[in-house]
Amino acid sequence: MTDILWIAGILVLIFPGMILWRLPEVQRLDLPARLSIALAGGIATVTAILYLYNFVHLPWTRFTVGVPLIACVILSGAKDLRRGDASPSPRLSMTTILIFVALTIYGVATARETCGDLIYFWGPKGQRFHYAGAIDTGFLGFRDYYLMHSDYPPLVPLLYAWGSLVAHRFSWWGALFLMPILLLATAFALRGLARNGWYAALLTAILAYGFAIGMVGGAADPVLLFFEVIAIAALTFDFEVLAAIALAAVAFTKVEGVVFVAIAAFAYLVTRRRLAKSILIPLPAAILIGWWIAFASGNHLIDSYGLARGSIHLDLFGAVVGETIRQASYKIAYVPWLATLMPLAMRRNFGRAWLPIIVAAGTFLSTLFYYLHAASPSWWIEASAQRVLLTPLACLVVASAATSE
Amino acid sequence: MSRGEKAIVAGATLILLIAFIARLYTRGGPYFQRPLTIVDHVGPGKHETRDALLLLPKVRPLLPRGARVTCFEPGNRDTMPDFFAAVGQLPRQIVVSPNGDLPEYVIAIRQPFTNTSYRVIAQFPEGRLYRRD
Repeated sequence: MTDILWIAGILVLIFPGMILWRLPEVQRLDLPARLSIALAGGIATVTAILYLYNFVHLPWTRFTVGVPLIACVILSGAKDLRRGDASPSPRLSMTTILIFVALTIYGVATARETCGDLIYFWGPKGQRFHYAGAIDTGFLGFRDYYLMHSDYPPLVPLLYAWGSLVAHRFSWWGALFLMPILLLATAFALRGLARNGWYAALLTAILAYGFAIGMVGGAADPVLLFFEVIAIAALTFDFEVLAAIALAAVAFTKVEGVVFVAIAAFAYLVTRRRLAKSILIPLPAAILIGWWIAFASGNHLIDSYGLARGSIHLDLFGAVVGETIRQASYKIAYVPWLATLMPLAMRRNFGRAWLPIIVAAGTFLSTLFYYLHAASPSWWIEASAQRVLLTPLACLVVASAATSE
Repeated sequence: MSRGEKAIVAGATLILLIAFIARLYTRGGPYFQRPLTIVDHVGPGKHETRDALLLLPKVRPLLPRGARVTCFEPGNRDTMPDFFAAVGQLPRQIVVSPNGDLPEYVIAIRQPFTNTSYRVIAQFPEGRLYRRD
């Protein structure tokens, strides 16, 4: 029962997230895409509320957090679910998406895709925050927990704390079942924003397989990719307000999110040549993450963000590139890359696709840059490359969808 | 979309589907039984935290709130997996590293803990709970 309540607590966030339906460009989307955007909006809203309450010392209760969420539901004014365009794709692509989501449900239900990081830090952080009713700096800074990455951005633990607030305790299975929900939401978001069911199906296939081989159940990666796909698709297809919100969530989900935001803003500037907007779009993300780093620094929690000050091992460049490229094969002969690059190679005019292509290249290079900061990076690459390379792959799917408009 | 593009996407999706099913299959059976822990089938072998994840919920009600406790497998040099599993499974207690001063309570996974200052207060198939005399 607790597990069901926990998941219901996350799903109910769709209702306050419907406030994003007030955006004219979101109103044009088909219903599944609007529901996905609403889930993204709801997650962003509840984590922002919990984060803010942490600083104004308001307790986290169902009442104190529920009131602003209900206010969002009222303000959304969402009545007619049928508004918006018709779904963009044939039945085949929808069936394909559902098959991959169903297999992912099977994978998590039989404990085949659980990420170790759920057990070692995402879960512990979420439930400690829940019991403390705040971002527990004493817990994060405790010397014995030095491997828990004390300064990792808090969106996922805050989301887990919200689910725990609803269910009265943390649900390990709930955290796992979040993955197929987010996979479906990611697919629907791209399907609506790009108006392309075929590439939404391909994205689902790549992510579902990538999640399985990379073992990300319960970790932050499905959340990160959900917001990244929305952000890049929104930027590519001119949903700028939505992109700004999604980018803020990206920066607040994982350390590498900051780099993603910077590259996306750069790509927007290069491809759209609008200086003011290329500053405004990443501004919420910059404020949020700046605030978090200042908070982490003030509480002596800096860990991963301090890596940037470490020395770079250029002598390992060949080994790092070789090992990363080996992991990038995903043990299926680079099929995910071929499936996204071949349609691009068939085009002469990339048009809108330049933006996601630049982000894909940038995030791939930044991954190599990260790895070069480790004295012996082999283990690190083996443990993480298949997960982190899903970001450039997802960007390439968006690029392919953009060229096929 | 051109016919060629559709063929590429469809072909890749089919390959990914087969690879995905194979990946799930090779993580071992049973395939349609409810798992006891969230790590039961992450690989064909037993996960390093499985016994801890089975034992800790049984031990939890026996520990006072706020008690200092540690968790490890005696004789195993890699103490981190069981220790961090305990941090997540005992949110009402203070779980400290087994590599420092030992606390009042010790949860020993699989192997007995032979420190004479401690006595067994509960025993389960996956391990034992000890308390300092």
